[in-house]
Amino acid sequence: MKKVLSLLAALSLGLALAAGSDTFVYQSFGDVDTLDPAQAYDTASGQIVENVYETLFGYKGESVTEYEPRLAESYEMSADGLSYTFKLRQGVSFHSGNAFSCKDVEYSIQRALAINPADSGIGYTFGPTLTGYEVNANDALGEEATDDQYTEYWNLIDNSVVCVDDATVQFNLVSANPAFFAQMLFMGASIVDSQWAIANGMWDGSAATWRDWIGVDLREYHLQSNMSGTGPYSLVAWEPGIRVVAAANEAYWGGAPAIKNAIVQLVDDEAARIQALKAGDADEIVLGSRSSLPQVEGQPGVKVYDAFKDTSLGWASSAVNAVQMSQAINMEDNVNVGSGKLDGLGIPADFFSDVHVRKCFNYAFDRDAYINDVLLGAGSTITMALPKSYLGYDPNVPEYVLDLEKAEEECKQAWGGELWEKGMYLTITYNTGNTSRQTVAEILADNLEFINPKFTIETRGVQWSTFLDERGNKKLPVSIIGWVPDFADPDNFIHIFYASTGYYAGQNGYVNAAIDELDAQARVNPDAAARADLYSQIGKLAYEDAPYVLLPQGVPLLVMSDKVQGVYNNPNLSAGYLWKDITKN
Amino acid sequence: MFAFIVRRLFLVPLVFFGTTLLIILLLQSLSPAQRAVAFVKSEAQLRNIDLIIKQYGLDQPFYVQYGKWLGQVAQGNFGFSKTVGEPVLTAFKRRLPNTIELAVLAFIPIMIIGIWLGVIAALNRDKFLDQLSRTLSIFFWSLPTFVLALWLLTVFYGGMGLFGLGQLSTEHSLDIIKPDFQRYTGFLTLDSIFNGRFDILIDVLYHLVLPVVTLVLISSAQIVRIMRSSLLDTLSQDFVRTARAKGLADSIVNRKHALRNALIPIVTLASFTLIGLFNGVIITETIFVYPGIGNWLASSAVQFDVPAVLAGAVFTAVTVVVANLLADISYALVDPRIRYN
Repeated sequence: MKKVLSLLAALSLGLALAAGSDTFVYQSFGDVDTLDPAQAYDTASGQIVENVYETLFGYKGESVTEYEPRLAESYEMSADGLSYTFKLRQGVSFHSGNAFSCKDVEYSIQRALAINPADSGIGYTFGPTLTGYEVNANDALGEEATDDQYTEYWNLIDNSVVCVDDATVQFNLVSANPAFFAQMLFMGASIVDSQWAIANGMWDGSAATWRDWIGVDLREYHLQSNMSGTGPYSLVAWEPGIRVVAAANEAYWGGAPAIKNAIVQLVDDEAARIQALKAGDADEIVLGSRSSLPQVEGQPGVKVYDAFKDTSLGWASSAVNAVQMSQAINMEDNVNVGSGKLDGLGIPADFFSDVHVRKCFNYAFDRDAYINDVLLGAGSTITMALPKSYLGYDPNVPEYVLDLEKAEEECKQAWGGELWEKGMYLTITYNTGNTSRQTVAEILADNLEFINPKFTIETRGVQWSTFLDERGNKKLPVSIIGWVPDFADPDNFIHIFYASTGYYAGQNGYVNAAIDELDAQARVNPDAAARADLYSQIGKLAYEDAPYVLLPQGVPLLVMSDKVQGVYNNPNLSAGYLWKDITKN
Repeated sequence: MFAFIVRRLFLVPLVFFGTTLLIILLLQSLSPAQRAVAFVKSEAQLRNIDLIIKQYGLDQPFYVQYGKWLGQVAQGNFGFSKTVGEPVLTAFKRRLPNTIELAVLAFIPIMIIGIWLGVIAALNRDKFLDQLSRTLSIFFWSLPTFVLALWLLTVFYGGMGLFGLGQLSTEHSLDIIKPDFQRYTGFLTLDSIFNGRFDILIDVLYHLVLPVVTLVLISSAQIVRIMRSSLLDTLSQDFVRTARAKGLADSIVNRKHALRNALIPIVTLASFTLIGLFNGVIITETIFVYPGIGNWLASSAVQFDVPAVLAGAVFTAVTVVVANLLADISYALVDPRIRYN
């Protein structure tokens, strides 16, 4: 046995050549969905797209409020805020060798606007700012649309981005929008090599053929698995479900990157990732949760960047999590609402329209327990549904704290005292395996059942598909939601959470006319200070309405090899940083 | 014999329609929104759930969806696997050789060790060797695969730095995507020989050690148990007694008379083992990050990646039919009493 082991050890010395200092290996559990920037929405795809393609401007390091030029060198906004003119970088080449010019910008943006697949992020970002439509022409115009309506839609696309000359591009907005610049940093606005794309069977960019391409599944075309961008890395190979290999672009306009090979490996099992990091086969791994930290912390060769323990990092999360209380529950075949009446055995569809109920739930939630049990101590409360690092976040907006007496008081006032007298039954549903959501549901259920024995709150774990189905069909009276921004502007939180036309507020049936008015003003006001003030006012009004139980925010964490230097964490980049900015020794 | 084989192969189309139709029908118990899970990566996309259902035709009646799929298959297109982001056939082409490599390399030692230990146990009934092999086989048989696999991973890879994850070291995984490395067969072991890259061959085999050991320990345990009881059963039969009475040497009786008859149940078990290995060993592949079809098909099932699940079911069904056929033919070879006409 000893002989065998020593033989194996000898063999392994010869074989286990640790990855060289110019090779960076990243291991995660997310499948790459697509390499086409007009289709990609998930972070696994985003990590590749953001390193191979470039947008006109990009985030400056870890800042979400400062930008730096990429394919553009400078820009100007017209006085009315309706048009943006970008001066483009000269002498840049795509990985195919084709020269970059304005026609590539025009093609890339128009391609995204014209095709705009329902499962892409185009409609959530710059799409509506440029055309006024969130969805593609087929979905927007319906089946009975006339040719004229299509022509009108096309004209919006065509006019939205115009080449002034080879080195100058002008964007025309349907209405002024201070978030436009941030929207253009989304990977969907990446510039692709138009000549190469067209030569490989992609849409030719013409008005004559655009209708054939509306809403197509881009996964069936060349750009799904091939890339020609201008970025610091070029795609070498994508072995779907296994790994992506990228190589440094030695001709990159910003200088050749230090890391020559970047490899993203799919390793579903966390234990395997941890062992690979220890063995030196991985330079960064993604942990499933903070609770796995003790397995890597203090291990030789491992460097944990934990913004909680090392506050000098200054990294902040940009996710907002909350408990949503729906005022417009879909009662059809709904197992979550019991009898559907306020008789102690269920709740009615508009149960949460009474502000006292929402306040009762807010006072009944133990945020410290959440910080301890879910965030393992690394977190803090927020006053409004906006990350602290964003413009408009106001720490002075009052917040709810655990107070069971006040909870009781509010619940006694709810529904004219009927709720307290008769009791209620409802279910808090979460997707099985999401232990954070399960803990939130349990904390809330325990405290509510404690203040009145007639309250029965059941917690229910369901399959992800069932969860999406019930969420999508508004069947969840109480659900735990999370939001990661599509672009780094407060609008992408405030509008979504608080405006009646926003996604979460709309789904919730939450309407506050005063907030809608303030939100509409903030959406078009180019003055940052004025916007910040408007958002702070919204925060205060929302406190009175208590439409959500806001959950404390966690702190980012990166687990790396100690050989890697230069890491930062920008919450709006898929992996937090770009490969071009790191080195390895 | 030939007619028998042809008759058996007629089962293939029957099994094909049966399994695929069954899967499509089972999917009808889910709502279109549930089936859309393959296209919803993030909850934020629920904003467009109705449009996503429309875009991918998830609200169409099952016969339309099934007819569309059959039409594609008739043209040799098994659709697009959303789980991995490439066509189903491409994914099979990429992964099946890896699974076969792992299966074959595991199958041979499983059978050799299983039969050998089973025979030793039976011939030494109730003695120390028998007790030992029975204890070990019960232990490994009852051990969950993931426990054994994780243990091997932690001790050998994490603790001692031996072997590795995946199929190749990082260096060699960059070598094989270079244009001068020809992929003649898709089998990495063979391709590295044909390319004269024995360093890659050794690396591939080295990375296969832990998954193969896992499979061998777990699967041979079962063979040991069946082999032992089958041989004991045969040894107590009349014809064995007759052979001994004729004055034949023990070794000849055991090998020629008893063993050949005792192998019949092993042939059946072997075919099941092989089917299991060929259809991907999900847990082993997942833990050792081995790029076979097992972990792909498992994750496609969870994500309702219908084209991948259908193709996987067809593949499984066909391998079951073929493996059963091979088992039946082997019966005839080991047992002179069996004839197919």
